[in-house]
Amino acid sequence: MSQNKVMSGSISYQQALGNYHLQKQSLEGFPAVELSIDEKQLLKEFHPDHRHETITELQVGPNKGDRCHKQIADVLQADSRIDAADLAGTRIRETDVLVIGGGGAGCAAALMAAEAGAKVILATKLKLGDSNTVMAEGGIQASIEKGDTPQSHYNDTFKAGHQSGNKKLIKKLVMDGPETIRWLIQQGMQFDLNEFGDLLTRKAGGTSANRVVYFRDYTGLEMMRVLREAVKNSDVDVWDYSPAVELLSNESGHCAGAIISSLQECRYVQIKAKTVIIATGGIGRIHLNQFPTSNHFGATGDGLVLAYRLGAKLRDLDSFQYHPTGVAYPQHLSGTLITEGLRSSGAFIINALGERFVNELKPRDIVAAAIIRECQEGRGVVGDSADGKNVMQGVWLDTPSLEARKPGILKKRFPKLVQLGLKSKIDITQTPMLIYPTLHYQNGGVVIDENGRSTIAGLYCVGEVSGGIHGRNRLMGNALLEIISFGRRAGARAVKDRKTRGHKQITIDHISNLRRELMQNNMPMTSKSPLLFPEYAQFDSAKNSTARNSSSTFCGVCDQ
Amino acid sequence: MNHNLNDKQTNKKNENEVSLSINGQPITAPDSLSVIQALWHAGYPRVKGVGCLDGVCGSCSVMVRRADSSEIKMELGCQLLIEDGMDVFFSVFELPPQHNYELSRINTSWDVQTEFHKIFPEAEKCRHCNGCNKACPKGIDVESGVELAVKGRFRESGELFVECVMCNLCMTGCPEFIDPNHVGLFARRVTGYFHTRPSNLINQLEAIRTGQLDVDIEEQS
Repeated sequence: MSQNKVMSGSISYQQALGNYHLQKQSLEGFPAVELSIDEKQLLKEFHPDHRHETITELQVGPNKGDRCHKQIADVLQADSRIDAADLAGTRIRETDVLVIGGGGAGCAAALMAAEAGAKVILATKLKLGDSNTVMAEGGIQASIEKGDTPQSHYNDTFKAGHQSGNKKLIKKLVMDGPETIRWLIQQGMQFDLNEFGDLLTRKAGGTSANRVVYFRDYTGLEMMRVLREAVKNSDVDVWDYSPAVELLSNESGHCAGAIISSLQECRYVQIKAKTVIIATGGIGRIHLNQFPTSNHFGATGDGLVLAYRLGAKLRDLDSFQYHPTGVAYPQHLSGTLITEGLRSSGAFIINALGERFVNELKPRDIVAAAIIRECQEGRGVVGDSADGKNVMQGVWLDTPSLEARKPGILKKRFPKLVQLGLKSKIDITQTPMLIYPTLHYQNGGVVIDENGRSTIAGLYCVGEVSGGIHGRNRLMGNALLEIISFGRRAGARAVKDRKTRGHKQITIDHISNLRRELMQNNMPMTSKSPLLFPEYAQFDSAKNSTARNSSSTFCGVCDQ
Repeated sequence: MNHNLNDKQTNKKNENEVSLSINGQPITAPDSLSVIQALWHAGYPRVKGVGCLDGVCGSCSVMVRRADSSEIKMELGCQLLIEDGMDVFFSVFELPPQHNYELSRINTSWDVQTEFHKIFPEAEKCRHCNGCNKACPKGIDVESGVELAVKGRFRESGELFVECVMCNLCMTGCPEFIDPNHVGLFARRVTGYFHTRPSNLINQLEAIRTGQLDVDIEEQS
């Protein structure tokens, strides 16, 4: 709670429920209260990115001197988990392409590389498909409706990113949109269709046209189970429970593979690869600013650390997306995402006084900042939960009014949310959900070109780990598009680029350089990275205790 | 806000704490926590079998017996709130080998049914024991889904598996070694692969292919 102080004299849960009334009118009949400050000022005062005390300057590495969130700086400037001695006697495997990460981007890259005839290993920290992709349910953007154009998609994306995205990357993204949907259908993915078999579309916050295609509120689940099945039925060699802990480099500083920690065998394996594609996703489980997160358990920024240590340039390390509608209650689901599809379909956000306070279809950073403002200025719903123990705060996501205006829509289009409500004993057709922004997405990341190549030869980065496409704020549906579009690009390109001859010498010299630089800058070197798992999973303490006591019967890491 | 499980609030003993057993270990934790959160809260490491924490990745399947019942149920550990006297075990089933198929090798939609029986020969041996249905933590009518697929009614079959998270528990519940969830996913995939042909998408693809639509990166909206 430390960063999210609850105002005293705020409005209690029960009181706020009393202020809440069903709104059967349409958007026009129930106008939002005009924001009383302009959007720039709103972001500056209330968006978590603008808390100056959380920003620092990087002391070492290719982005030395750049602004960076303190918690990200801590992992980028930590010590390696690996010493040269760790590699003595390790098993060595060779492949053409090594994909690190088993979400949508990793699968798309692996499928393309394997299809082009390359030998591919896909190593993932947990199980194939355990990723943020599987939870990205709102939909995927592609300009396909009559009257909509890639140009409009480009303009919306560039504008929402506060004019700071890489124009060439955005152009590739939007031009790939329709083809990406076709490719997914050819993998066997289904989308919601109208009676004539055309793709249904809806708006996203900040888009000028109906451009999000979707499958119920299970778009990411549908995408991921199809891609997982496609990969498992391909020639890709899948390594589950195999997080990468360090990259390997060759005599010229090119990327030459990775060191994998096999969780099941409790030992390291070196994979020599002609090219490496990092698709490790984002950072939500670092819980920036103590926020809850919508992210997958494994989203600990590992890829950022690996790439940075090898010298890859990063960007926008002070810019993150807080999704406006995370669950605030019940507690065990705190931070869980409620899809933007609800707002796209017309659900209001209501404060404790029963008022709308922002146009719900503004870009995510604006809506999130507006919610935080309501809570900080005493118009949020605050109080004890039903058991009187846990303090929570938030505003209402008005599902009952949406249901009243469009009977049946919740069950038909949002079965996942209905289920979530049932499990929490909340009937979302009758009672609004309490929501608060949740840490959702890393806007920046590794600098890439139009084929996902980083600034280090032989190293590609795709998906959330990369930066530049979304500038400083991402639109709904552009992440699922990006992972497939750039995943496929990188997979195809990596095969073309692979060196015909292997690397002469494989080293981890870059770690010695890192340590020297850290010491020269008087950095503490007390912690190690990549983190691999959030602190509360107690991964490192488990590893140590099994090392000491091999008869332990309760190892939550390897079940041995 | 409350993700921090070492929070002082949750550490102090109060009347909302419940006692249960997880993987044979006695654990006491507040009743507002899920099974996975309760393990972490009690200081036990847990990495394996933890995934999206959102009920959609299928990694955290657990077997649970409640205090007032002898019945063993399958649930997802991230979604299951702990109760007093619960007995919970994380499932550690090894997966049987998968069926192997590629959609691109099925020549036309007329061949799907023939190919299905070649890929899943055991599917027609279903003895309607209800084992898959009992095993499903999502309450899917798995058995009917398999039956529909066997009859060649793939679109209908696939509709039943909309909420399937591929946790593979139904595979463990099947005495005929049918992989019901993979049958369901096959049914869904062939429906998309052969029958999704949206005209709005196709028109736009054509406009891009012929150069009618392009992006000028300097144009301002």
